[in-house]
Amino acid sequence: MTREGGLAFDAGSPLEDIIAETKSATAVYDAQSGKIGFQVLMTSFNFKRALMQEHFNENYVESEKYPKASFKGFYKDGFTKGELTMHGVTKSIRVPAVLTEVKNGIRFKSTFKVSLSDYNVSVPKAVSNKIDPYATITVNCMMKKRP
Amino acid sequence: MKYLAITLCLFISPLGFAQDDVFDLLEVTQNKKYAYATFKGTQLVNSATNETPGAGVLQYIIAHRFGSFGEDYLYNFLGLDNAQIRMQLDYGITDRLNIGIGRSSVLKVVDSFIKFRAIRQSSGPNPIPISITLLSSANYRGERYADGIDHLIADRLSYHHQVIFTRKWNSKLSTLFSPSLVHWNLVPSVGDPNSTYNATLGARYKLTKRMALTGEYSLISNKSYSDGSAFTVPFGVGVDVETGGHVFQFHLSNTRGMSTPYWLSRNSYSALNGGLFLGFNISRVFTLRD
Repeated sequence: MTREGGLAFDAGSPLEDIIAETKSATAVYDAQSGKIGFQVLMTSFNFKRALMQEHFNENYVESEKYPKASFKGFYKDGFTKGELTMHGVTKSIRVPAVLTEVKNGIRFKSTFKVSLSDYNVSVPKAVSNKIDPYATITVNCMMKKRP
Repeated sequence: MKYLAITLCLFISPLGFAQDDVFDLLEVTQNKKYAYATFKGTQLVNSATNETPGAGVLQYIIAHRFGSFGEDYLYNFLGLDNAQIRMQLDYGITDRLNIGIGRSSVLKVVDSFIKFRAIRQSSGPNPIPISITLLSSANYRGERYADGIDHLIADRLSYHHQVIFTRKWNSKLSTLFSPSLVHWNLVPSVGDPNSTYNATLGARYKLTKRMALTGEYSLISNKSYSDGSAFTVPFGVGVDVETGGHVFQFHLSNTRGMSTPYWLSRNSYSALNGGLFLGFNISRVFTLRD
């Protein structure tokens, strides 16, 4: 497992870069059962622009009401499948993922898109041309073996 | 780009975890987290809040105070025909330090200020319940005096120093308490105080994600000068509307001056005598440095 997992988020458009990263996601993988889980605090996402970060937390994902996003599921044959909870909404997803054994642990990589409207993240019309309705999530976690 | 400092253990004690509980390991411990968006704008109605533009952000504010309701307000289109304006340009040197300049048409005052977020409200380990922000300004009156004396620079200056205590109680309610000192280099006579002490109380309450009600009220120590001029307590109520990079603040107040000493310490309008003014502040931010 790791508590320093990398997670990136991109809902940008040609008009505006909307990119955020965190290096403090938690990830856990149990090789025996294939169970895999992730959790991240929404306020841990860092944007380049402070105002964008404020809007992200206050107007879009409402971090005070829904502080965390999580995924709980299984990994099998190049796919992770399970429940993604974000902004108070839980949905089943199945996305391609790569698990590679490295020294002392396992690296997990996955890139997938989530629909903002699926998770009730509303985008005002005035800025709808600036925000991609499908956010690209990139997960890159180096999980260390637990003793 | 800064990352939150992570000093969590990588390895949790392996004792007592059944296979089923593998997801329990996910629980994230809350790191130190600073309160954000205590207020929408860097000012409430007239009074400064704890907010500053982020590092590398240039903010432009254009503010209007319209004519009074007491003076033929239908003829003057609710006072819109008699607008006083102030323009402000300020810059976030860091996320905590902010400097700016402004020019207001009331008495042709040019002002400059420096604002520092000394202590920031935070949650998590060692939480701090309030934010404390320091603000100082120097203000220069450009308007000619009517007394026939050639007033030099020193006479025209006034200063304002303020400590801004704010607290974001929850996502909707934030409050402000700001004691301040205004120093006037020139007062009508020797017996009049050069320094006045003031305290502003303010609050905002969010109605929706992007709209909030605001209000402020100030107490003042000096209500008159020996030359017969009288001063009233300033107050204002308003609505904040936020759209992306803009914040629109519409309000009703009994003030027309916009540089702090003028509205805070020498406001002469009384709402009871029709001294009520519509006004707005509109801010726009530009990111100069990412």
